Amino acid sequence: MNITKKIKILLQEAKLYHSQGLLNEAMEKYNNAKKLIQSNEQLKTHQNLINGISNKILALNEDIIKIEKSPKKPEVSAKMQDLIKKMVSFSSDKNEDLKALDGAIALAKLGQIKRAISEFNELIKTDSLRVVAAKSMLRCYMALSSKDEAVAQYEQWISDHRFSTIQLDKLRVFLENILKKEGVEKKLSKRKPPKDSIDEVQTEEPEVEDEDIIDINSLGITIHRGSQKGQVVEFKTRFQLGNVVSLLISIRDKDLIDVFKVGDMIDDIQYYSTAALYKGSGTVKSIKEVKIGPLRGDYCMDIKITLNQP
Amino acid sequence: MAIFNIKKREIECKIVYYGPGRSGKTTNMEYIYKTYKKQIIGEMVSVDTEGDRTLFFDFLPMGLGQIKGFDIRVQVYTVPGQVQYSSTRKLVLKGVDGVIFVADSLVVRREKNMLSLKDLQHNLKEYGINILKIPLIMQHNKRDLAEQGIPVMSIDQMEKDLNRQLKVPSFSASAITGHGVGATLKECLKLTLLSFKKQFKSG
Ligand SMILES: Nc1nc2c(ncn2[C@@H]2O[C@H](COP(=O)(O)OP(=O)(O)O)[C@@H](O)[C@H]2O)c(=O)[nH]1
Ligand SMILES: [Mg+2]
Repeated sequence: MNITKKIKILLQEAKLYHSQGLLNEAMEKYNNAKKLIQSNEQLKTHQNLINGISNKILALNEDIIKIEKSPKKPEVSAKMQDLIKKMVSFSSDKNEDLKALDGAIALAKLGQIKRAISEFNELIKTDSLRVVAAKSMLRCYMALSSKDEAVAQYEQWISDHRFSTIQLDKLRVFLENILKKEGVEKKLSKRKPPKDSIDEVQTEEPEVEDEDIIDINSLGITIHRGSQKGQVVEFKTRFQLGNVVSLLISIRDKDLIDVFKVGDMIDDIQYYSTAALYKGSGTVKSIKEVKIGPLRGDYCMDIKITLNQP
Repeated sequence: MAIFNIKKREIECKIVYYGPGRSGKTTNMEYIYKTYKKQIIGEMVSVDTEGDRTLFFDFLPMGLGQIKGFDIRVQVYTVPGQVQYSSTRKLVLKGVDGVIFVADSLVVRREKNMLSLKDLQHNLKEYGINILKIPLIMQHNKRDLAEQGIPVMSIDQMEKDLNRQLKVPSFSASAITGHGVGATLKECLKLTLLSFKKQFKSG
């Protein structure tokens, strides 16, 4: 193939790639063409060609810069935000609360932070999601680089009776840790303990959250004994401390309570986080009857989780 | 994870166009939107940025009418192809029932095709889905470019690169002219609905 034809083909390719938005590919072809011309000074139109290509490269560079500069996750219309929610809540999973949580988390992930904050704020009303939603809300404030607002929000929760002291402790440790990561050492205030605390079943100090641990919303356990043998029963997470999740077995499922024993290894658990399904196993750490409060009579079971490597 | 609404006798499922950036996913959907008016039950929604790159996803709601007394509804999505939108791609895949992988026939995009297929496999796995088990169709797009003298891979080459192990149905296409676009989607819908039938039988 003669040089002129080679150059012509390269330029044709480059032009097409540019028009299709394949900018790096276009750049490579222009540069190849340029080199070819430069090494063949006997070409009659030598300088013209080089000038022409240089102009094309300039235009291409402008496009590359435009794309680099455009916001990666701009705020979109409310209608589009609704669609984001709809997109991730698409599943036959019946639990509307978990769907709403998925939606809010997706909004946050896609940079729709303000909307996400208002969604999380709604979810705080739901018992089982309160801590997850509150944590996510704090994360959102941090993403907006408003540390003060995160702290102010936490302080407001201290006097919010929907939060138990244990839940608040978890949020305090959580927020202190994320602030520390941002280089802010701050001791946050605690709720003053009431004279006779009523709604606390557990009294352990909350562990420091491990950031690598995934927030588990619910888990599915295959039952091997009793009347529900062979079925996968789904339990909602009441709360989670590091790699220990706490679930509630309703007194109505009394026969399930007898299925589990402390120390049991349970293989084949499906863990549902907001983003994905994980498979793993778990060990039953404790089973306690709730003695006081609105859940009296129900059982609280703690499972130490082990996720399979994906 | 399609939604079966027995009361309303309605089945709603989710199809996702996957593939490397600029392979023609949005163009596929635009062609469907223009051409299959009867099956379109709402607006096509696109969010794109500078240089019409898909930002989050494109969305098209479709209705296939009745099958065995059930109203079949389909939510069709495309993913953004650029590498930096990995977490968005994963979100779009949530609850997916069928996937169309749009591969770019351009020789210069060979490696990007393979990387994107790996990315698909990885993201499906995170949802506990095996790429060998989900309804999946391969589309070799931009076949028209060969006529313009642009280097395009042979179908053999592309099948070897992308479909040797999967062995899924594949179609040649030119989304810009519409060639192969309808056939690809129809096959994907067929496989997806068939997979529901199997699920019903086994469960
Ligand atoms: N020649 C040709 N160009 C195509 C074809 N399909 C898409 N394109 C072009 O490729 C570019 C990227 O297409 P787009 O649909 O936005 O790709 P996406 O990133 O996969 O959504 C656009 O310039 C399209 O016009 C095709 O079949 N033939
Ligand atoms: Mg697109």
